[in-house]
Amino acid sequence: MRRRLLVVSLAVVALLLSACAVPGERDDLTLRKKAADAGEVDAIFDRYREVRDAAIDLLDPKPLSTVETGAVLAIDSGSFEVSQRLSTTQRGLSRGLVVTHVETPAFSKYPLWFLATAYDPSAKVNRVQIFERESAVDPWLLVDAPQTLPEATLPEIRHGAHGAALVVKPDDGAGMSMSPQDAANAYAEVLADPTSAASGGIEQDDFIRQMRKAAETNGSLKGVTFTQTWAAEDVRHVLRTDDGGALVFVTLLRQDTYDVDDGVTVTWPAGSPQQAFLASGISTSGKLRYYHQVLLYVPGGDKKPRALGQYGGVVGADGV
Amino acid sequence: MRTKLGWAVTVLGALCCVLGLALAVVLGPDSRFRTGPHEVDTDGTVVVTAPKVISWKGLQVEVLAELPVNKPVFVGIGNSVDVQNYVGDVERLEVTSFSTPWKVKTREVSGKEGLPGAPTALDWWIADSAGLGGASVSTRLPDQTVSAAIVAVGATNLTGLKVSFAYGIEGGFAKGIALVLVGAGGIWGGRLMRTYDADEDDAEDTGDESVDDGEVVEVEEIVYVYVDEDGVEHEISEEEAAALEAAEQHDEAEADPEPEPEPEPAPERPIATTGVLTAADIVAGAVPEEAVTYVYVDEDGVEHEISPEELEHFEPADDDEEDQS
Repeated sequence: MRRRLLVVSLAVVALLLSACAVPGERDDLTLRKKAADAGEVDAIFDRYREVRDAAIDLLDPKPLSTVETGAVLAIDSGSFEVSQRLSTTQRGLSRGLVVTHVETPAFSKYPLWFLATAYDPSAKVNRVQIFERESAVDPWLLVDAPQTLPEATLPEIRHGAHGAALVVKPDDGAGMSMSPQDAANAYAEVLADPTSAASGGIEQDDFIRQMRKAAETNGSLKGVTFTQTWAAEDVRHVLRTDDGGALVFVTLLRQDTYDVDDGVTVTWPAGSPQQAFLASGISTSGKLRYYHQVLLYVPGGDKKPRALGQYGGVVGADGV
Repeated sequence: MRTKLGWAVTVLGALCCVLGLALAVVLGPDSRFRTGPHEVDTDGTVVVTAPKVISWKGLQVEVLAELPVNKPVFVGIGNSVDVQNYVGDVERLEVTSFSTPWKVKTREVSGKEGLPGAPTALDWWIADSAGLGGASVSTRLPDQTVSAAIVAVGATNLTGLKVSFAYGIEGGFAKGIALVLVGAGGIWGGRLMRTYDADEDDAEDTGDESVDDGEVVEVEEIVYVYVDEDGVEHEISEEEAAALEAAEQHDEAEADPEPEPEPEPAPERPIATTGVLTAADIVAGAVPEEAVTYVYVDEDGVEHEISPEELEHFEPADDDEEDQS
């Protein structure tokens, strides 16, 4: 009986002491902030869905500038422009987006960013998105949104001592066949020229094959001189994977140039984005600019980088 | 073992009592120290603590900023990464060192005049407040590097700023009292444990054993007493009693070396056969152990006393058998 009393007394004391948050000096005064907690991520996504759905309802991309920026805003704005010109509606409301996974790094200074994977039931794809806050007074904006098939598996992300996802500097190639920035540059080089020197270091994936096939088709047009260039922008968002590799968010600018002989006009099928931008076609020369956001995986060790997903579209055109 | 544990619990309880009492007395019923208002000499728009000045966690802090003539003012506490990014390019008064109750070192940092945005529009403050003529925040410091900022809102500045500061433990007074009670309980519990252990030791010393089901078997305690010549009793141990008994037997053996001559036995006197003792028989000590009277009952139920010699002519009837029949 007394033994029970003793145990109960000790349990009560332990409970009382644990309830008292004892103040103390912090050992680690390093500047560090986890980009966002779960509640913030929910709030950011709620706002994103609300604004995007409003833009879809209005068929107006302007509201998107409050929740998106950079290449992803350009791609989405281009998509809205195509819909406006073709008098079609945008596919799928964003309220159906389901956040399935979040990876949050910690930073000692701005900008802050985090990765969120959301399943889009209307398109049946996973959107691997990066939200970024450029400064303390800026809102959270979507900056990267490559899409992967639902059956595609992303590599596991490595975490640090505080549970935060680890980031990699774009020029840090330690433990990998090349640095994230070098991988982005090499990938763009291979897209532009499959026979380039960089082709030996990059896996020939479906995206490269698809882009090469489209370029060959355009290049085979009679009376048309077709050139295509690819350029990688500076890499900003890289996460360390469990195998010592890196998950790299690459933005590529593609430019298709058409020089047409006299008496020839290049046109595109009705309903296509190119036709929306160049309704009368190209009779002398013209350019179409595209943004492609590619999710590039640089494995640990000597393995070649490969694309896991992409999202892109026409962002501008000019031609006569 | 339990005695040691009892002492440990008692000491722990005493420590809790002292700690709780100190906590309650030092913090007082409002559970915090207060200092201020202290004048801060600045004509800028921002006063901010440098990233490593606030080095505590779990501490309840309260900052009150007051400005004259109802000027609008903002007070906020946020992660230093956010605060530094917010005020990093702005002209400001930076607190580089602070120690209680109010020992402050500051430095002027040059920069742009205006803040990049209104402090009230930001969502990352851990605690913030704005008001006319004064604003205060109260929060428990989190386990992250934080900075406190006082910002003039609108086109005003912080001239005439007075700051009051308070720190303590949320509910510290009540926790102190609770700690005293817990400590008292510990002291009492420790005492109980020690007493219990002492009882068990005594029981073990007297051969008292507990059985499996926890019941205690009572054993009669034997006390040896020696009575001296004056009739006074003295309690002695079993060994002393045995030694004393052996000594007495030895004394008796020494006192009777030869047996005393015994008197001749007196001739036996005849015992009355009638079963009735006479006075002479009693005086002579010839009292029979038990006088037996034999009775014959005739057909009419009348009893007739008979002698033992006549008994063989009759069939004996036992009272017990009659009762059973």
